[in-house]
Amino acid sequence: MQIEHVDEVRHRIPKSARHGMRTDVLFYASGPILDQVEKDRALEQAMNVACLPGIVGPSLAMPDIHQGYGFPIGGVAAMDWDTGVVSPGGVGYDINCGVRLIRTNLEKDEVRSRLKELVDQVFRDVPCGVGGKGHLDISGKQLDQILEQGAEWMVEHGYGEPSDIEHCEERGCLAAASAAEVSARAKERGRPQIGTLGSGNHFLEIQFVHRVHDEEAARCYGLEEGQVVVLIHSGSRGLGHQVCTDFLAQMGAAMKKYGITLPDRQLACVPIQSPEGQSYLKAMRAAANFAWANRQAMLHFVRGSFQKVFGKRVRLGLIYDVCHNIAKREKYQYNGRSVDVLVHRKGATRAFPPRHPEIPADYRAVGQPVLIPGSMGTASWVLAGCERAMEESFGSVCHGAGRLLSRHAAKHGRDARAVQRELEERGILVRSETRDGILEEVPEAYKDVDEVIEVVHRAGLARKVARLRPMGVIKG
Amino acid sequence: MAVYELLDHTADMGFRVRAASLEELFVQAAEALVSIAVNPLCATPLEMRSLRCSGATLEDRFINWLNEVLWLLDGERFLPALFDDLRLEGDSVSALVWGEPRDDARHPPRIVVKAATFHQLVIREHNGMWEAEVFLDI
Repeated sequence: MQIEHVDEVRHRIPKSARHGMRTDVLFYASGPILDQVEKDRALEQAMNVACLPGIVGPSLAMPDIHQGYGFPIGGVAAMDWDTGVVSPGGVGYDINCGVRLIRTNLEKDEVRSRLKELVDQVFRDVPCGVGGKGHLDISGKQLDQILEQGAEWMVEHGYGEPSDIEHCEERGCLAAASAAEVSARAKERGRPQIGTLGSGNHFLEIQFVHRVHDEEAARCYGLEEGQVVVLIHSGSRGLGHQVCTDFLAQMGAAMKKYGITLPDRQLACVPIQSPEGQSYLKAMRAAANFAWANRQAMLHFVRGSFQKVFGKRVRLGLIYDVCHNIAKREKYQYNGRSVDVLVHRKGATRAFPPRHPEIPADYRAVGQPVLIPGSMGTASWVLAGCERAMEESFGSVCHGAGRLLSRHAAKHGRDARAVQRELEERGILVRSETRDGILEEVPEAYKDVDEVIEVVHRAGLARKVARLRPMGVIKG
Repeated sequence: MAVYELLDHTADMGFRVRAASLEELFVQAAEALVSIAVNPLCATPLEMRSLRCSGATLEDRFINWLNEVLWLLDGERFLPALFDDLRLEGDSVSALVWGEPRDDARHPPRIVVKAATFHQLVIREHNGMWEAEVFLDI
C-alpha cells in the first residue's frame, strides 16, 4: 500500500493510489498503531470511502481505526450538503452509539469499601437487555414522542434533571427527526428495550479519576483525582439496528436510479437531497433521539442505585454525553472556503474547540469534553476538543481503543471466570449477563488506549484532560 | 443442529455454510444465525410461523432472509427450532418456521446480533455445492 508519512502521527494514501478514489485518505497513527492497522482491511475501507460522491476533504481515519463493514470503524467523511451522498453504513447499525460521563461527590476509598454492594445494585437496576426487555413500559404514542424529543422527554417525565439536557451533544435531541419515517418493525424492536444497556462492547463502568492532565479543564468539567465517576456506553438498541437494515435494503435499488456504483455494497448511499436520503436522515435522527433517551433513562437508574447504597447525600451530575455513530450537518472553514457538509462519524467523536457556540456555556472556555472509553480492564479518557480538529478533521477525533482481536480470537483458550478473577485481583469487579460478554471484551482484544490518546493529543486534535480507571464493570 | 464455520473479523463475526442446494443453503444460514444469537438446544417446535421476503438479486434475497429471521428472534421474540418448506420462487423467499416463544431462562441468549450485512458477502456454487460467507454486525 502506498503510504506517505506526513509527520510522526499523520499518514496519507494519495488518491492516485487506486482508480476511483476522489480524494486522499488521511489517517492518524503512531508507529505501533501503524503496524496494527496494516493487519486488517481498515485502510482499504477508508480508500473505498474516498470513492464516495461529493466527499469534501480527505477520507479520515482515527488511530482507533479497525475493519468495519463498509466504512472502517474510526472513520470520518464529510459530504457536500448539496451534491454529496448519505450512507447508512457510514453511521452504522447502532445509530448514536455513544458515551455519557457522570461525576459523583464520592471518593474512591469510600466506594471501594462498598463496591460489591454498589456493582450488584447497578447490575439489578440497569437491565443489560440481552434478552430484550427493560424496566420501562412505554406506549407506542410515547415512543413516537421520544423519537422526536430525545433525552428531554425522559427529563420531562421524571427520568433526570434539567441540567442533564444542557450537557448532552445537541442537547440530547436532533431537530428534524420524524417518527413517521421509522418503520413499525423498528419501533416494535426498540420499544421494550428503552433504558437497557445492550451487549457487545456496551458497558457501564464505575471508575475513578486516576490522573488529571489539565487542571483548568478538569476543574471546569468538575473532575479531580480520586473522584468516582460513571461511564455509560450504549446506543439505540434494536430500533437503530432495524432503521439501518430497513434503509440499506431500499438503497440497492435507489443507487441504480442515481447511477451510483461502489466497491462495497455495504457502503450503499444515495444523494443527501434525494427523497430516499432525506427520509433516511429523518429516521436516523429519530433513532439518535431514542439513543439519547436510552442513556438518559440509564443515568436515572444509576442515580437510584447510588442513593440506595450511599443515601440521599450522594449527587450524580452529567458531565457530558457524546455520540460516536452519527451523520450531522455542520459548517466549516476548510482550505480557506466555507463548506456546508454532512459529517459521517463512524466510530468517531465530535471534538469542538474552546469558544465554539455549540458547547455548553460552562465548558466554552476550555472546549468540548471528548469521552473515550477504553477496554474493560484498562483506562478511559476525558479530552478537550482543539482548534486543529476544526481545521483538518471536521471537528472529530477517535472514539475508543479500537479492536485488535476478533471476538473469536479474544475468546480462544480463555475462561470467563478466570478473567473475572484476574480483574478482581486488580480491584475491578465485573458483572455480565453472558459469559461471552466478558470473554469477547478482554483487555487484550483492544489496542492500548493510552497510545491511541497519545496520537490525537500529539496531532493537536484534542488534548488530555483526565485519565480514568475502572473499579466496577457491568456488561451485557 | 446448525453446521457452520466461524469467520474472523476484527469488529464483528462471520460464518460460512455449505449445502447441496440453494434452498438448503438458506436454511443452513438461518440455523447458523440462530445458534450464534441464542443457545437453541432446548427449542421445541411448538408453534408455526411463516416467513416471506423478497429481493432483486440473490444477495438481496439472502441478506433480507437472514434479517427476517433476526426480526423473528429479536422483534417477535420467537426462537426457531426447525425451518421447513423453504421456497425460492422468482424474487421471493418463503418458509415455514417451527419453534416457540423465547424464554431466556431456557434459551440463554449468547449475543445480540444487530444485522446480517452485505459486507464481503459471498454466495457461490462449486462442483454442485453451494457455499455462503456472511458477516454479522454484533
